[in-house]
Parts: sequence; structure tokens; C-alpha cells
Amino acid sequence: MRYFRLFVFILGLNALSFGSSPLFAQENGSLALDSLANRLEAVDQQVRILARKMELEQEAAAAKKKETPSIAATADGFSFKSADGNYMLKVRAHTHSDGRFFLGDDVKVATNTFLIRRQRFLFEGTVAKIYDFKFMPDFGGGQFVLQDAYLDARFLPYLKLRAGKMKTPFGIERLQSPLYISFIERGLPNNLVPNRDVGAQVHGDLAGGVINYMIGAFNGVADAGSGDRDTFDSKDYAARLFVQPFLKSQGGALRGLGIGVAVTSGTQTGTVTTPSLPSYVSPGQIAFFRYRTDGTAAGTVFADGKISRLSPQAYYSWSRFSLLGEYVTSSQNVTRATTSAKLENKASQAIATYVLTGENATYRGVTPKKSFEPAAGTWGAFELTARVSKLDVDDDAFPVFANPQSSASEANAWAVGLNWYMNKNIKFVVNYEQTSFKGGAATGDRLDEKAILSRFQITY
Amino acid sequence: MLKKMICFLFVLYVTLGLLSPAIAQKDVTLLNVSYDPTRELYQEANAAFAKYWKEKTGQTVKINQSHGGSSKQARAVIDGLRADVVTLALAYDVDAIHEQAKLLPKDWQKRLQHNSAPYTSTLAFLVRKGNPKKIKDWDDLLRPGISVITPNPKTSGAARWNYLAAWGYALKKNNGEQTKAGEFITKLYKNVPVLDSGARGATTTFVERGIGDVLINWENELLLIKKMNPNDYVMVAPSLSILAEPTVSIVDKVVDKRGTRAVAQAYLEYLYSEEGQEIAAKHFYRAHSPIAVAKYESQFPKINLFTIDEVFGGWQKAHKTHFADGGVFDKIYLP
Repeated sequence: MRYFRLFVFILGLNALSFGSSPLFAQENGSLALDSLANRLEAVDQQVRILARKMELEQEAAAAKKKETPSIAATADGFSFKSADGNYMLKVRAHTHSDGRFFLGDDVKVATNTFLIRRQRFLFEGTVAKIYDFKFMPDFGGGQFVLQDAYLDARFLPYLKLRAGKMKTPFGIERLQSPLYISFIERGLPNNLVPNRDVGAQVHGDLAGGVINYMIGAFNGVADAGSGDRDTFDSKDYAARLFVQPFLKSQGGALRGLGIGVAVTSGTQTGTVTTPSLPSYVSPGQIAFFRYRTDGTAAGTVFADGKISRLSPQAYYSWSRFSLLGEYVTSSQNVTRATTSAKLENKASQAIATYVLTGENATYRGVTPKKSFEPAAGTWGAFELTARVSKLDVDDDAFPVFANPQSSASEANAWAVGLNWYMNKNIKFVVNYEQTSFKGGAATGDRLDEKAILSRFQITY
Repeated sequence: MLKKMICFLFVLYVTLGLLSPAIAQKDVTLLNVSYDPTRELYQEANAAFAKYWKEKTGQTVKINQSHGGSSKQARAVIDGLRADVVTLALAYDVDAIHEQAKLLPKDWQKRLQHNSAPYTSTLAFLVRKGNPKKIKDWDDLLRPGISVITPNPKTSGAARWNYLAAWGYALKKNNGEQTKAGEFITKLYKNVPVLDSGARGATTTFVERGIGDVLINWENELLLIKKMNPNDYVMVAPSLSILAEPTVSIVDKVVDKRGTRAVAQAYLEYLYSEEGQEIAAKHFYRAHSPIAVAKYESQFPKINLFTIDEVFGGWQKAHKTHFADGGVFDKIYLP
């Protein structure tokens, strides 16, 4: 702008001198023309110089902009990024504010309650271009748990190395972020699926993402368990292969089909004081199966040897419709006093979802086309969900390793739900889930669990 | 336990082994971070070297180029630009990469012939058709009303050479009196209306934007302009100028990390080969090879040249006195 003003000033000055110049009045035409030409040339040069200086200033500003780190606050969180993108820090948070209400629970097995199920802070980022990190503490339930803390080195798309605390590469629903799961609580098979563990894994995508593989070594945890350190030298191994054969097809109905298989193998060795065995919970998060434990060597069951798991799994989505299915077996050697056995527990589930408002259903949730804004008459996105799931405890567990009067040998659940995506950051969920049990009571079967679960999810 | 660990390592080994053919990529890329006017030179040199390397080793090499003001480019490498090789306008900028980032050893300049300068050049003038302002030597640049185009010595290697060439001339004219040389330079820069960040930018200012009466620049850059615009400009050789030695080096820490040392070393050595020297001379750089010198001798004007060591005691001293913050240039040029 200052150059423009200077330019106008120079033009004005020259116009004045042009009009008042004695030379202009001279009759010697050629002299006057020479002078005029020189003056015009000088003005022309000055204009060009000013224009060039502006150009250089713009170039310098553009170059400086390229070197300036960027700060962003978006629906995906807050981020700081170096100009070249090689360094980044992203800060995000998730809150799950839940309500759990049980119908017909006359014997007060469960308590109606509001709770903060998850309060997680995510610190994700990149250093030196290819090294990603994630650090995620969780204060849900008023307790501190370090959920994730790992470094992920992206050497090549098909060769990445992750080390630290992470989800064990096994269950398809467990690997899905809690932000995107279809129901408030994951289905019964997740009782058999390891949660987070410390170790290292090699993973990557082959054929442009058609094949995804993960293979790693971990400390090893009990079913549904998480761990921060090992108590024995032995390590568990996990591997998962997931194939989306039609991923590259353009718009085909099978494009969203993925099938996979995952395995774990290891050794769990517990003690009377630390049995290293799980309990299994219902969708209302009430334990319905426990191994026997009374603190004595005679009355306590503990893990005692090989543990292996297998899970065929699949996911399918097409337009507003999606399906998720998995089958899990978990085989564990257990001991009580002088009696040992290999117990094999099995579980399965199938989930179907349908987006009423037309958005695409995906493994990474639903993004509403329009946010909920009553004044504008827009309502966000609505999704209907349905699930059946089952968990079957090995019959050999009873009565030596589990008490049939307090632990059920089988749980069958069905559920329906409604997800309301108010916008990209806020989601309201309500589920009704009914679970029936086989055994688990002094006489006959444990009472059905009829749970109404609700959740406000805030993520940014 | 041990058995299982071995088993896992075996599986990992097999997995990585299966992937290894893809990991061990045959193609290799190099990044040559260079100064402003070498674009055309390295376009041809890179293609020739890639062909040579393919024939010699069977390996495909792609050389990416980055150009800008020499000091700015050195700064970028210091700040993390992963250059396999630097081919900069002056040794001081390569020294800075050693001093400020330790990416290469202190004695880098001794690793290749001719102080790691595979070609040389000098600085001269370009004036408009017919030389209307009758510019013949450095003194003419000080005349009132003469508009001189030269880039910024703070960012451009060419600009530093220009400055030192003028200073050297003024010293000789004034029997070595530094004060008089300073006055000479002060007057000269009063006639500079705009400072570009690099030599190619100064060319743009003079040729494309039509600004100025005279452009001081690399001899190779001026000859290239003349070749492209044979009727629009006249090259003027001053009575005295400086021998400019653009220098090259591999960036040790980068090539070792990327595993490109052998090809990067071969690339720089290729610049000294007969083919490399021929390409340099073809692009108006003064070659060392007697064959290339003889073949292209006629395209270079005869100019008396002095070296930076003779007049300024080397680059470190020249930089400290003239171009460092608070140096002579900061005092004489007040935008």
C-alpha cells in the first residue's frame, strides 16, 4: 500500500513538473521531446521498481508463511504443526457420560447409576516425519489408567513398527475405537478378547490397503484384561490378518467387505494370590461368571499354562447399512489345588446398523451431513442398531473351577439401540439390552438382565 | 519359553524376509541443494550422470534439485533439508553447514580436486542493447543516475562475489586504502534500487521486469541471458574481477543415514570427469579440463582475476568483516 501511495505521489510530482516546465513552453520541439522521454523513462523505472519491490515482498511473505508453524482448532481437536508437516502435536479429549438402569431387578444384583465411563485425553503427534506417538490417559470412573502409550514408526506403508502399550491385535470390535462402536458396551465376545498390553508389533498395509497385517509379541494378559508389566518371563504372541478384497472396486456393493482371522498364543501362570484369570461381565457390566477364589490354595483357581485364542471376524458396510460379526474361542489351562484342566470358552456376536438419515455407515462411525440445529430445522444423523451375542463357558469349569450357584455357564443377549449424531463431536446413544443366563443361581437360572443404557459422548 | 521366542523371531524374520525385496528398492534418489543459476547446468549433468550410473552399476538414480540464494540454501540444510549433496556458490556457505550443524567434516574442501570447486566463474556486467549508458568498468556504476541490479549479499552467493569484486577493484585503484574502497562501495549501493534474494531473481528484475541499466552477475548467467536474447543485451567485461569458486560436497550425515554415500560421491566426482567438465563449459562455467577449456575458450571474455585469498584473506575473514551482522555491508546499505 505504501508503494502505491508513493507511486501516486511520484506521478503527481511529475504531472506538476510536466505542466509547469519551462521546457514545455519552448518551441524547440526536439529538446522538449528528449526531456519528456527521459522523464517518462525515469517514471517508468520508478514504477517498475515499486512493482518489483511489491513482488519481492509478496514472495518473501509467501515463503515466510511456508516456514510458519500452523495452529488449528477444529472438530478433530487442537493441533500444532510445523511448516513442513514433519512435526505435529494433536490434543483431543473424549467424554462418555453414561446412565445404567436395570428393569425388574428386584434382587438388586445391579445398581442404577450415572457414571463417567471414559474421560480420556489424547496426545497424538508426529516427530521427524515418520514417527507417530500416542499417549492416552483415562480418568473414567474416577480412576487413572494409562490406556495407550506407544511409538509407531512408519518406515513404509507395508512395514510399520509399533512399541509400547496398545490394543492387542485380535478382536475386531475391540480394535474399533469406543467412539465408533455401535452400542454403548461392546458385545459378550469381548470378555474373551485381550484388551491392552505392552509389547511390540510389526504391522502394515499391502496392496494399497487390501491386506492389513499385524503381528506382535506382548507380556500377555487374561481374557478382557489389560496389563502394564509382566510377572513371568514368558511372552504371548498375537497376529491378525484382515483382507478387504474389493476395496479398490469403484462403488461396488462389496467394496466395504472385510474378512479376517486373528490368533493369540502364550502362557499365563497365576498364583493363589494373583490367579491371572478373568471374570466375565454382562452388557450391563455385571459379573456373571467368576472362577472360584477364597484366598486359600485349596479353594482358588489360577491360570496354569498355555492360553490360546482364535477369532474369525468380518465387517461389511454398504451405503447406510453395516454388519459386524465375530466368533472367539479362548482356551486356558487352569489349576485348582491338584486338579488341572484345559477350558475352552466360546463367544460370538452379530451387529447390524442402519442410518435412517442417509449417511454412510462405516467402521469409523457416521458423520452427519447436517448438524443438529433446531432453529435451522436440521437434526443431525440417526442410526438404528441391533445385536445378538452369546458367551458359552466350558461345561468342564463346573463345579470344580466355578461355582454353578453363582456363575452362569452361558449368557445370551439381544439388544436394540438408537444413535443420534448431533454433530461431529456430540453423540447421544440409548440401548436396551436383555441378557438371559444358564445357571448362575442357587436354583435354576440367574434372572434375566434388562438394561437400559444411555450415553452422551463428547469428543473433540 | 526360549523355543517360543525363537519361533516368534523366525516368524518375524520370515515376514520381514518376504517384504525385503520390496524394501531393498533398487532405485535411489539424491537431493542436490544448489544455488540460484545452476538449474540448467544440473538438469543436463543429472541426466548424464543417471545414464552413466545406470550403465556402470545397473542402478537407477534420480537426482532432485533445489535452488535458491546460496546462503538461504545453506540455512535450509542446517535447518533440516535432507540434502545428499550441496553445490553452493561459495565455500563459506558449506563451512556454515559444518559449523552450525556438523553435517559434514571441517576439512570437506580437501576431499575433491581444486578445493572442491569442479568449475569456476567470475562476475561481469550486462547492459542493454547498444550500451546506452556507456558502462565500461566499475567506476561507471557509481555515476549519478545509473541504476545497478545486484542481489542481496545477506542471502546470495553471487551478490557476495559481486561486492568483493567491486571492493577488490576499488582497493587496487586506491592503492589499498580500505576507507576509499568503502566509499566506493557505498556509492555503488546507492545506485541499487532493489535487492533480490538470489542471482536468478536479479536476472528476473533486469531482464523480465526491465529494471536497471546494468546487471552484475555470474559470468555464466550473463552468457546464458545473451544466448537466449542475442540482440537485446551486451556483456561488458570489467578490467578486474574476482575468481569465483563455487564448491561442492556430500553431506556426510545425510548420505550415511540414507545409504547414498557411494552414489553421491560418484555424482560429485562425475562433475570432474571429461563429460562433466564438458557439460559445465557448455553452460558457461569455466572448466578445469584442458580439453573443455580449449573447446570453449572463445566464449569467455578475457578478464584479469584476483582470488579471495589474495585480497581478503579467505572467506571466513571476508565474511566476518563484510557480511556478518553489524559488518561493513550493514553499515553502508540502509534500505
